[in-house]
Amino acid sequence: MLALELAGVFKSFGPRAALRGVSFSLPQGSALGLLGPNGAGKTTALRLLLGFSRPDEGRATLLGMPPFEAASRMGVGYLPERLVLPGRMSVRRFLELHATLAGLSGAERNREIDEVLEQTGIADRAGDRIAGLSKGLAQRLGFAQAFLGRPRLLLLDEPNSGLDPIGVRDARDWIQTARARGCSLLVSSHVLSEIERTCDQVAILHEGKIAASGEISDIVRAGESLEDAFVRLVRA
Amino acid sequence: MTLTTGTAFRALAGEAFADAIRRRIVPVIVVISLLSLMAVDGCTRCATGQVDVNGQVVPMADLAGWTGMVIFSALALWTMVLAGVVASDHLSHPLTDGSAALSLARPVSRNTFALSRLAGTLAISYATGALLLGGTATLLAVRTGAAPGAALWAGAACAAGSFTVACLSMTSSLWLPQIATALLVFASVGAVAAVNLVGQFGAELGGFLGAIEHYGPPLATSVIVALGPWIEPAAVRGEPLELAVRSALWCAASGGLLLASFHRLELGR
Repeated sequence: MLALELAGVFKSFGPRAALRGVSFSLPQGSALGLLGPNGAGKTTALRLLLGFSRPDEGRATLLGMPPFEAASRMGVGYLPERLVLPGRMSVRRFLELHATLAGLSGAERNREIDEVLEQTGIADRAGDRIAGLSKGLAQRLGFAQAFLGRPRLLLLDEPNSGLDPIGVRDARDWIQTARARGCSLLVSSHVLSEIERTCDQVAILHEGKIAASGEISDIVRAGESLEDAFVRLVRA
Repeated sequence: MTLTTGTAFRALAGEAFADAIRRRIVPVIVVISLLSLMAVDGCTRCATGQVDVNGQVVPMADLAGWTGMVIFSALALWTMVLAGVVASDHLSHPLTDGSAALSLARPVSRNTFALSRLAGTLAISYATGALLLGGTATLLAVRTGAAPGAALWAGAACAAGSFTVACLSMTSSLWLPQIATALLVFASVGAVAAVNLVGQFGAELGGFLGAIEHYGPPLATSVIVALGPWIEPAAVRGEPLELAVRSALWCAASGGLLLASFHRLELGR
């Protein structure tokens, strides 16, 4: 079964075509890096997969269902590129809200909250207001809410944004831990070295089309890094 | 792991209410409401004695019903305007700043999200309405003997009107900036109320204005007709049952329009 799929998707915003016949899929348990220059359509693809937007043509599915159905998002963890958190809330209260929305309740909810707080290294800030967190800590909180409910699929948009080098390394560990328990992963990022470390497949978007997709080992030539391959494919 | 619609609604409505009471407009609402109640207190003190109207001596008690109706109706309309103004960015703001994305990425339907934001808005306006209208009705009942039952019906009419205004305001806020939506609320409620008043106590209306009077939301009419027992019931025009049905239809239509509009909206552009 596929964790997600875009099949022949076209999407325009007014006269601007954001996606032009994009197709890619992610088998369950796999990790796909969605790459592309700025404005290539990565965030649009993620928004279609989350049901925030509808394709003009083609099909999007999330965990086997159309993303516009709320049930398709049960078991999905999402970290947006532009993370806007309610500054007035405490860290714990925010996680309680999202744990509830992830379908957790009672003791299980509290246990999972404690677990993600511990995992992301913000347990000592649980009682603080979110407004008082630094950008890096807020990003850790973003990860924490994405991990609630032990998601079957993680959608991460520029997950390393705002993280210091230790945070980047920690984030890599958290992602690998999630993968180890069978979680599927779609990461949109400009940090190609991280994609190389966390994903086994990539799809490279350029001007709204797929420039290349497949196993990283099939795309990268001998002696090339993923960055070299990316530049070669985008410039071609 | 399951998430029922009720659980999601309760969680999000709680947050929407917490958002609403932190709005800068809330202290303003509280101050205006208290000032309004003080004004009502002053207006209802002189319920005894006599007054000279065009050379005719009229006992104040005879005017108390009209005074009460004017005060109560004005405050009911203010409550409806308030519902529209609070609604003018309560749904659109979290969409614009991106904070809605995390909730909508959960197994939460758009209907649940929109209705929870509406509930947050209405909690503020209903609480204000309860304070203002309840306080006014109590003062009038104690000082002039105005029937509280009529005030209850008028309060229900105000609640229905507030729901309609809030839904329409939220819907237009999906396309218009907040200030434009708020101005539209003032203009629309004012215009409908003016048409209702002319239709109630003035000439028979025809054409577009007549259509508003006969088919539009009976924002002022339903409140005035409910308060009929405070004056001579024959002095007000309108069938309470027909008005109740029309109010309910407008609630359903405006709520449906809000949900349909939000359903079609492209989020996060």
